Amino acid sequence: MHSVLLPRALLSIVALCSLGSLPCFAQVDPWEFEVYPYSTTPRGMAEFETDNSVVTRGHPDGGEGTAAGTLPSQGMWSNAYELSYGLTDRIEGAIYLNMARPEGGGLRWAGDNIRLRGRLFDEGVLPVDVGWYAELEWHKTPQFDDATRELEFRPILEKDIGLFSIMVNPKLEKVLAGAGHDQGFEFGYDAGIRFRWTRALSPGLEFYGGAGLVDGLDSPREQQHCVFPVVWGALPHGLEYNIGVGYGLTRASDHVIVKFNLELERFVGAWLKASADGGWFF
Amino acid sequence: MTLRGALFISLVCIGLPLDANPLVEPRVKDVSFEIRFADHRFTPQTLVVPAGQPLVLTVVNSSHERIEFESFTLNREKVVGPGETITVRLPALHPGSYDFFDDFHRDVPEGEILAK
Repeated sequence: MHSVLLPRALLSIVALCSLGSLPCFAQVDPWEFEVYPYSTTPRGMAEFETDNSVVTRGHPDGGEGTAAGTLPSQGMWSNAYELSYGLTDRIEGAIYLNMARPEGGGLRWAGDNIRLRGRLFDEGVLPVDVGWYAELEWHKTPQFDDATRELEFRPILEKDIGLFSIMVNPKLEKVLAGAGHDQGFEFGYDAGIRFRWTRALSPGLEFYGGAGLVDGLDSPREQQHCVFPVVWGALPHGLEYNIGVGYGLTRASDHVIVKFNLELERFVGAWLKASADGGWFF
Repeated sequence: MTLRGALFISLVCIGLPLDANPLVEPRVKDVSFEIRFADHRFTPQTLVVPAGQPLVLTVVNSSHERIEFESFTLNREKVVGPGETITVRLPALHPGSYDFFDDFHRDVPEGEILAK
């Protein structure tokens, strides 16, 4: 019995030690291939959304591509459920349940997030519409992510030019606990261009990337950058979709990722009174 | 950005009054128009506005039902409760037709903003 347990224990220790020394390259979040617009969920509205991505051509080892844990990205289905609620006319809150299904495995819990997102001023007041985003993420699932608690901040920038909308979400992430907690802020981005063609079907282009630590960016080979041609639009019964295929632009990126997001919005009742006209935060 | 930098920006933001807009004065050159929702329809159904000039739309909901004033082409979406009034700022528009509708009640006839 001991002869079996000892090698296994040694292997586990080696695995844990190597986990602690996994290179912390810039990574793209596979649970959230979504570019946030300036507008927030209207006050009193609830929005239920499922974000999905499947890595069809990824990497065979953990810690590479979109895999931040020990399991490889190849064949991984990342499946997130998000419930957001419009607290005021300018601020929404949201909770997330993140699941994942590795290739050949079952669907498992991979973590949770809570976040607040808001827009500053009214649309069109500033030359570029500006919003903000703050998120706390936690997971104790080293097979999917070796950081256990993370904080993320984003400014949200949007500019409408005719029927085009340009959205940019630069991201600053800080690991609070787990691998990388002693490092500084990591820089990444989500960005997109949308063309409003018809309500049912419109095209867009989305970009996701991770560049490394703010005070020491990764080399271009180690950075991850993906571009997703997408189609988006409204379906009957208040459903909205966003589907796309992403292509990795660097060696470190996953090569092909398919994303599929679906959301449903309903009025459930407002807790707070209407925001002041001409206000800037609440 | 260092943690100290992030804290500084947060403190500057916290120092601003949260329910007023201290940075931006109303733009006096904006032209205002009103759209009223009553009896399950918008009035006017076609709103003619000047092209090339920023606009402020006032949407008055005089009905007893909640509506979502939405324009796909203008990328605007706002919930308006019964008896509430909202303002919607629009940039200078090119000449053309822009839709608006109530996303909560798709049987409400769609309206149009005609920029000339």
